[in-house]
Amino acid sequence: MNIPNPIMGGAIAVLGAAAAYGGSLLPPVPGQQVGPNVFPVLIGLGLVACGIAIACGIGSSFEQPEEVVAAEDGSHAPAETAPPPVPYGALKTAVPPILLLFYALTVDSLGFIPTAAIMVAVTCFALGGTVRAAIGLAIFAPPAVHLIFAKLLRVPLPAGLLPMPW
Amino acid sequence: MSTFIEAWQMVLAPDVLLAILLSAIYGLCVGSLPGLSATMATAVLVPVTFYLSPIAAIATIITASAMAIFSGDIPGCLLRIPGTPASAAYTDEAYAMTRKGQPELALGICLWFSALGGVFGTLSLIIMAPLLAEFALSFSTYEYFWLAFLGLMCATVVARSSPIKALAAMLLGLLIACVGIENPAGTPRFTFGFTDLLGGIEVIPALVGCFAVAEVMRAMSVPEPPQLARRKFGSILAGQWKLTKEYPKQQTRGNIVGIIIGVLPGAGADMAAWVSYAMAKRFSKTPEKFGTGHPEGLIEAGASNNASLASGWVPSLLFGIPGDTITAIAIGVLYMKGLNPGPTLFTEKASSMYALYIIFMLGNIIMIPLGIIMIRLATHILRAKRYAIMPVIVLLCAVGSFATGNNLFLVVTVAAFGVIGYMMEKNGFPVAALVLGIVMGNMVETHFITSLIKSDGSILPFFQRPVSAILAAITIGLLVWPLAVWLWRKRPQQAPAAA
Amino acid sequence: MTELTRRHLMAGAAGAGLASQLSAPAIAQAFPARPIQLIVPWGAGGGTDATARIVGMLLEKEFGQPVNVVNRTGGSGVVGHQAISGGAPDGYTIGMITVEITMMHWQGLTQLNPDSYTPLALMNEDPPGVQVINTSPYADLKALAAAIKANPGKLKASGTGQGGIWHLALVGWLGAMGLPANAVPWVPSNGAAPAMQDLAAGGIDIVTCSVPEAKAMLDAGRAKSLAIMAGERNPQFPNVPTLKEAMGIDYSVGAWRGIAAPKNLPAPIAERYTAALRKINESKEFRDFMSARGFGVKWADAGGFAKFMADGNAAMGVAMKAAGLAKSA
Repeated sequence: MNIPNPIMGGAIAVLGAAAAYGGSLLPPVPGQQVGPNVFPVLIGLGLVACGIAIACGIGSSFEQPEEVVAAEDGSHAPAETAPPPVPYGALKTAVPPILLLFYALTVDSLGFIPTAAIMVAVTCFALGGTVRAAIGLAIFAPPAVHLIFAKLLRVPLPAGLLPMPW
Repeated sequence: MSTFIEAWQMVLAPDVLLAILLSAIYGLCVGSLPGLSATMATAVLVPVTFYLSPIAAIATIITASAMAIFSGDIPGCLLRIPGTPASAAYTDEAYAMTRKGQPELALGICLWFSALGGVFGTLSLIIMAPLLAEFALSFSTYEYFWLAFLGLMCATVVARSSPIKALAAMLLGLLIACVGIENPAGTPRFTFGFTDLLGGIEVIPALVGCFAVAEVMRAMSVPEPPQLARRKFGSILAGQWKLTKEYPKQQTRGNIVGIIIGVLPGAGADMAAWVSYAMAKRFSKTPEKFGTGHPEGLIEAGASNNASLASGWVPSLLFGIPGDTITAIAIGVLYMKGLNPGPTLFTEKASSMYALYIIFMLGNIIMIPLGIIMIRLATHILRAKRYAIMPVIVLLCAVGSFATGNNLFLVVTVAAFGVIGYMMEKNGFPVAALVLGIVMGNMVETHFITSLIKSDGSILPFFQRPVSAILAAITIGLLVWPLAVWLWRKRPQQAPAAA
Repeated sequence: MTELTRRHLMAGAAGAGLASQLSAPAIAQAFPARPIQLIVPWGAGGGTDATARIVGMLLEKEFGQPVNVVNRTGGSGVVGHQAISGGAPDGYTIGMITVEITMMHWQGLTQLNPDSYTPLALMNEDPPGVQVINTSPYADLKALAAAIKANPGKLKASGTGQGGIWHLALVGWLGAMGLPANAVPWVPSNGAAPAMQDLAAGGIDIVTCSVPEAKAMLDAGRAKSLAIMAGERNPQFPNVPTLKEAMGIDYSVGAWRGIAAPKNLPAPIAERYTAALRKINESKEFRDFMSARGFGVKWADAGGFAKFMADGNAAMGVAMKAAGLAKSA
């Protein structure tokens, strides 16, 4: 998901401008020479400048291409040839954040164990694990995590549909 | 002398020794879980300390926090998921070493130089506590402002990408730090009416999102990398001894910078690690190797990180002013156990004080054998299949960030920062600079604004006070120097183009 | 935050069944049947956290059921206070509410106010002191007050963030002397400790944090406390006079912590809590713990606590409007 520099720079400049504008609306505080508006405005203007510079391509000469680091003993890293792309790679990229949102929305009603099991199974499957691996992991990982966090660290994880015996 | 022997007797009591051992193991395990901070590991121990003798209670806090800080480096090194904002400074470096097939070496550096840094920090605590405390007390908001500013400048030094993009990432971090009501004016900013945003964006969920979630997202679209060649390492320590002899200057500098920064309340291990890593790169003969798995920066930052932890206890013990969140908890325990911080602790309770020193030393020494065991165990993760590890990481991201405030909004924060971190990484923006901005944003603003209130709007004190004048000179020098060099180099290249 | 779990439902059903058969005291006796959650709106390791943990520990002994202390942070305390008031009023969710509940709604940060809870007991109150550097030319409070009057705006004070409790303490004290809020400009800080440090560094002139918060610096001889803004002296600092003794001003304020439950908690359960909390408040363990930390112990039962909060709430409204901190909605 590489965004061309002009668009990226433009987006940053717009964000900066919005921040500067939003900041400038903040009311001053009695007894303080510099109010809460000054820092957002400064940061926003800085972002505008950076955004314009990026859009114009200034400083891109410093960028080093992401290299596959060769081992220090001289042997080359094996992945020289372009690897075959993962099917639906771009779509799968969205899986982790969506699962985290899923967790935030459902954990209170479903409970920790079922929610966690779904998260683990989906992630495992998306990464190319077999169905057996996904199910196996979904059965063992959530109770282990629950034991550490709920029992030892006393984090209040909701019991939901499947309370743990400890 | 009799107090010294008495102190040893206090420490060698079976309950104290057991407390040290158990809390060491506990600290190592909790610290190595992504998303769990050393602060949380310490806070959970507080109810346990109710039941312990005073020395055992303090021993658990000291040992557990030191161990948790070290083991926070483990997920950073193996999975590119830093455990603390401090280790975010050198995570990419350590991970690059892992990709080169040297995970044991990278973790060994973290362990060995952390322990050495801790020992040096403790020595400074023993020898110069009053002197260091005097130094810490001479820092007012003017000095802190310059210090925070210097810390921010590290972002562009450390980054391996375009300085403009590093600057943009840092500014974005500063903007994120603006969110909420925790600003000098006490005015809600950029909260858009959400109660959850009033307290601002917490650093730990942002860190976990930017690194851990973004890493899992990357894994989704990239085929499984080839298994690392199974190489048998001999002794982890043998290599360290060689490095200690090879980089004495870096190590000493790291220790000194760590001790100085650590002693200042409010500027802790995070800033020490960043400043030291940036210094290592700036003064290195081979700065181009930084970021590719080069030990130099790791050594300096690792040493600095732990040295600052020990010296951070100086203002806590002498004046009850916490250096960071961990010592804030420790001060509570000290009061509870009748070891009230203050100069009397050094005179009336001298034997307890010596006992604390001994525990610091013991803690840093047993860190080495226990850490080696931990490293040996943890590196097995690298041999596991990705689809077996990553799902657990996603789960830990959710639970770990939830645990920092028991608030589901934190999980949403992690998800959002996962997307931000992923997009930034893909487009060449250094994520570490963003984290630095979030960590330091409030500090820069608070000290700038409070300084102006105190001086009735005059900026003279920023340059008049002796220490602040020195810091200002360093800052301006660092700001102007690279610009001058850049312009100098640019000139002959541009001349023909203009003609 | 309704946590409708099966265990909750079953317990609720059991509770309802019991309620229909048994008299009120019997409900109270059957309570508690499962672990209790004690919510703390502030982070782990702070003073509120420490107080809540000792109360939780003693409550656990009293009830014979685990009491889990849960730090619900975020939103500058709003999130945790909301979680307490939004819990099920079944006695299994209680929380430690703090002085901020009488302040935040004036600032327009939340709708919550003391009426959003069933008050159970007031456990602690710490009045602010007036601390100056030990080398300060002001020998007593009168000299300091004279200096403020002679040169308004010159001396600076700190102790907490803008609009925090110690800021309002200062404004209230100035107001009691007939001075405007800007006679001593407020320098916001991230809590009392950094303010005390800046006092020692010579950055500011006055710190109006509580005396226990300043204790270590006082013991170290770096600072001195000129007075406390309370009705009577603190037994741990017997040499520090009250405002009234020092300059004849009758003004007192304080940061307090109390235990409360969601609104509409059944009376028998509330009474059970108040009785247990009274025992805890009087217990040696609690007193020892609080005096070791330097925290002041205060007691008020449910009715007293409600009145205490109502009075504080009104006083805060006046002080915050004077300081220009209240939202002019």
